[in-house]
Amino acid sequence: MTRNDNRYGGKTVISFAELTKRQFVKSLAATVAAGTAVGLPRQTLAQTETIKIGFLAPLTGPVAAWGLPGLYGCEIWAEWINDAGGVVIDGVGHSVEFIGYDNEYDPAKARAGASQLVIDDGVKFVMMLGGDTWPGAQPVADQTGMLFSTLLPSDLGPDTPTLIAPAEVHPIYNVTGVEWLAENRPELKTAVICAQEDALGLPSVATYLAAFEAAGIEVLGDPLLFDLATTDFAPIATRMLSEGPDIICLDTCYADYVHPLMEQLFQQGYEGQVISCTADFYDQITAKTSVEFMEGLVFQFPDFDDPALESDLVNFNDPGKFFEVYNERYPGQWGAVSWEYAAIMDLWKWAAERANSVEPADVLAAMTETGQGQHTFGTADWWGEDLFGINNALVGNWPVVVIEGGKAKIKEFRSIPDWYARHGDLLKKHFTEYGQMWNQR
Amino acid sequence: MLLALPHFLSFSQREVLVFLTINVLVVCSYRLLTLTGEWSLGHVVMMGVGAYASAILAKRFGVHVPVAMLLGAGIAVVVALALSFPLFRMKGFYFLIGSFAAGEIIRLLWKRFRDPFGGPKGIKRIDPMPDIDFGFWQFTAFDPVSYYYFVLVVVTASLVVMWRIENSRIGLTFHAVHWQDSLAQASGISVRAYRTLALVIASGFAGLAGALLAHYIGTVNPNMFDIEQMVYVLTWAIVGGTATFYGPIIGCIALTVVNEIVLRELGLEQGRPLVYGLLLIGTVLFLPKGLEDAVARTWKLAAGLWSGRQVGGGR
Amino acid sequence: MFELLAQTGLNALYAAAYLSLVAVGLVLIFGVMGIINFAHGELFMIGAYVVVALYSDLQMPFVLVAAIGLVFVGCIGILMEFTMFRPLRDNPLGGLVASIGFLMVLQALVALGFGVRMEHVPPFTQEVIVLSDRVRLPVHRLIVIVSSATLLAALWLFLKRTKFGWALRASAQDPEAAALQGISLRTTSLIAMFIGGALAGIAGSLTAPLISVTPTMGHSVIVAAFIVIIVGGIGSLEGAVLAAIVYAFVHTGVTTYIDGVIADIVGLSLMLAVLIVRPTGIFGARDRA
Repeated sequence: MTRNDNRYGGKTVISFAELTKRQFVKSLAATVAAGTAVGLPRQTLAQTETIKIGFLAPLTGPVAAWGLPGLYGCEIWAEWINDAGGVVIDGVGHSVEFIGYDNEYDPAKARAGASQLVIDDGVKFVMMLGGDTWPGAQPVADQTGMLFSTLLPSDLGPDTPTLIAPAEVHPIYNVTGVEWLAENRPELKTAVICAQEDALGLPSVATYLAAFEAAGIEVLGDPLLFDLATTDFAPIATRMLSEGPDIICLDTCYADYVHPLMEQLFQQGYEGQVISCTADFYDQITAKTSVEFMEGLVFQFPDFDDPALESDLVNFNDPGKFFEVYNERYPGQWGAVSWEYAAIMDLWKWAAERANSVEPADVLAAMTETGQGQHTFGTADWWGEDLFGINNALVGNWPVVVIEGGKAKIKEFRSIPDWYARHGDLLKKHFTEYGQMWNQR
Repeated sequence: MLLALPHFLSFSQREVLVFLTINVLVVCSYRLLTLTGEWSLGHVVMMGVGAYASAILAKRFGVHVPVAMLLGAGIAVVVALALSFPLFRMKGFYFLIGSFAAGEIIRLLWKRFRDPFGGPKGIKRIDPMPDIDFGFWQFTAFDPVSYYYFVLVVVTASLVVMWRIENSRIGLTFHAVHWQDSLAQASGISVRAYRTLALVIASGFAGLAGALLAHYIGTVNPNMFDIEQMVYVLTWAIVGGTATFYGPIIGCIALTVVNEIVLRELGLEQGRPLVYGLLLIGTVLFLPKGLEDAVARTWKLAAGLWSGRQVGGGR
Repeated sequence: MFELLAQTGLNALYAAAYLSLVAVGLVLIFGVMGIINFAHGELFMIGAYVVVALYSDLQMPFVLVAAIGLVFVGCIGILMEFTMFRPLRDNPLGGLVASIGFLMVLQALVALGFGVRMEHVPPFTQEVIVLSDRVRLPVHRLIVIVSSATLLAALWLFLKRTKFGWALRASAQDPEAAALQGISLRTTSLIAMFIGGALAGIAGSLTAPLISVTPTMGHSVIVAAFIVIIVGGIGSLEGAVLAAIVYAFVHTGVTTYIDGVIADIVGLSLMLAVLIVRPTGIFGARDRA
């Protein structure tokens, strides 16, 4: 059977899949043998063959901002890598090509898309946003043993060993911002939280609750949830201000909500501390508020021209140049996800060259072999069994970013595992309360 | 032909085929409701009721999956029956908007109550259909071809039932309720009872379709059953036409093939909604009676040509 | 406590202002033409993108841009009438589907032209009227409230005092009787579509600096607008304005005192309750199903 024909390593796609869905693979094999399958990929990599990588994310619709800008970043990445000789396997450079599939953030379409990419197009790796769409793609991952990545580690689970979260470990890194704030501004004692009610906002609420509790900061009232269809944020700002907090926490919100929320807090006269997971296009928030209002805002996503990223510990190819080219080519599109998919590709390339193979099982084995991996913000651990039931999240340091004089600056890289070693029980408590533990799904 | 179909398709097209077959059931059950003259915007939510119910029964209470699917459809029937009391105080446009409000409230409740509905992220890891070995053929729930055959059997059986209903005395009464509301009432028919009956049957089949979907993709969440999905069902029905049994099926197949296969093949990711929207406008403008009318006319024309040629050959 | 209440009142007043502009247009179109314009939220969106294109990018004066938004989106309304609603006059369901198609076209065109991400609209004014420490009214919000009141008053005068207005009201009340009176449905539909579009457009233009401008922003407005026209009674312009105020106060109040998701459920329940108890709406009198 041609599927087993792999000249790069001992392991094969099929041998991996046998661990999970032996039954299905048998029937798939029968189908293939019957000669009825259309367009199965060739399993050997010819010398000049391009390596195809799948990009399965929302490219249209309301969640498109979490997919499309990442695809742009990948295109720059591919250009750079291909110009530099591509991914070297057996001493031969192969160029990389991204194949996008718009899943419209719908699980059924994600399933069709995963089939298209993995079986029809023969990609070697699929990057996803995850969230609602991951359960749709999961059967395809189970069947084929294809390596998938997600930006949302809450998708991870012990029954899918080929899903990894190697770039973004949302929302756990939010603890670093809170801890930094508590150490540097110990006079702040109370906080209020507002959050969008969805799969992004709720685990983040649980994380912030744990982080505030760990830091000895009292959270006033229940977190204020709002629907994604909210247009007017004045009432939410009013309600938060009425509690009279020292800190206002915007949780993990889409930029569409962070901006009007900040504008409203400013207009309603708030002058205290704000902490938020993201502050995409913060220059625009500054334009809508003031430099003084923005001063000291704590968040988690650096600009890639930050000098702190020039450090040798950072594993991202020329972040400053990447930031520049990106902004030149796609003006006004830089945000949290712009670099994340490209960062995953850095890790993938490193692992593929180390394994001397592009087959998913080999790449995964090379990635996780030592229990550590090359995360963008430094060497990190494969971690997460406590929360996700599997050590497939690459967790290490994460930057704490603060606005100073209208510009985002990395104040410090802080270790997430260190925090977890001290306060893990709090996180588990709040995750359980919000139904976010893997065994609660 | 339907049996051989998957073997001519690529893997992703087989996936689309499974969803398409399920959607045929949704749109046909929707047409059954429209027979009485009422257009609902809550039909997809009823599909969701079946999906959620079946998922919870299977996952929480360990109910055998096929049984859970039937119970899911049953629960959709019960919910529809409960909703019929407030909703059938309304007619026409008011019913349209009322059904939207009722559906949206149900959807927001799924979002709000994390226990048992899972909140915004919904329910994941729903048990699949069990694999069955028939000896001559092995049913594997993860395999789109297997599941397609399973869905095809269920949907065909459901369509036969709906066809029988439409052509029974009940179905004729549905038509009567639509066309001559007051006359039907005068002749002693309880209009409301028949409206309720249509809503309940339609919702039951929609719930079944939802259950079929839920156990295949393994997840349900509130966004899967939002107004956008409802709009798709509505456009399938109207573009296909609702005068005949096959109209909505044609509409569903034609628009799905265009949207999911043709436009994707053309690589029009960003422009897909643009072309789809233009096609919708074009169809209602130039084929106001729906695709079914075009098919019927083409059929007649072809038949005419054929008989014409035969006559010509006879001379 | 009192401050919270006062601030909530001001917040609600602003919400009522832009919502009534959108809802009144929707009511007018439905009243005159019997068509549910599903693309009405997208007309609101286009109004906001006029501001993005002319005010943010070309830096034209905001007041001028808002006026252009009014006329431009009004013209889109006329375009919809000519290309879709007039040929589909006897086919309300067809009109509904066509408006859904048009909604997709508008969203896709904007996404292709401007990108899927939120657009930045610089503030027109950052002045704030400080009534007390915790009761503040941003001037831009005041502008929206005043403009909305002015426009609605102008519309009211137009409807009550002009010949066109009279014709429009007559066809909204009873299209067949109006036709017998010699009122041309073609003309009244055209005016209704222009006014309906223009009001949605200027609502989008005026609020653009205060909200997030994205290609899908129309979606959240249309649901609220439907609730408003049902509660207000279809065909009643005064009802729509009153209902917009009621809805805005209820929704804002519940968001402030409980939370936003509950507020949505309360809004929809309000609509459902009105439909059950009095399907013609609280302020409407006529059944026109």
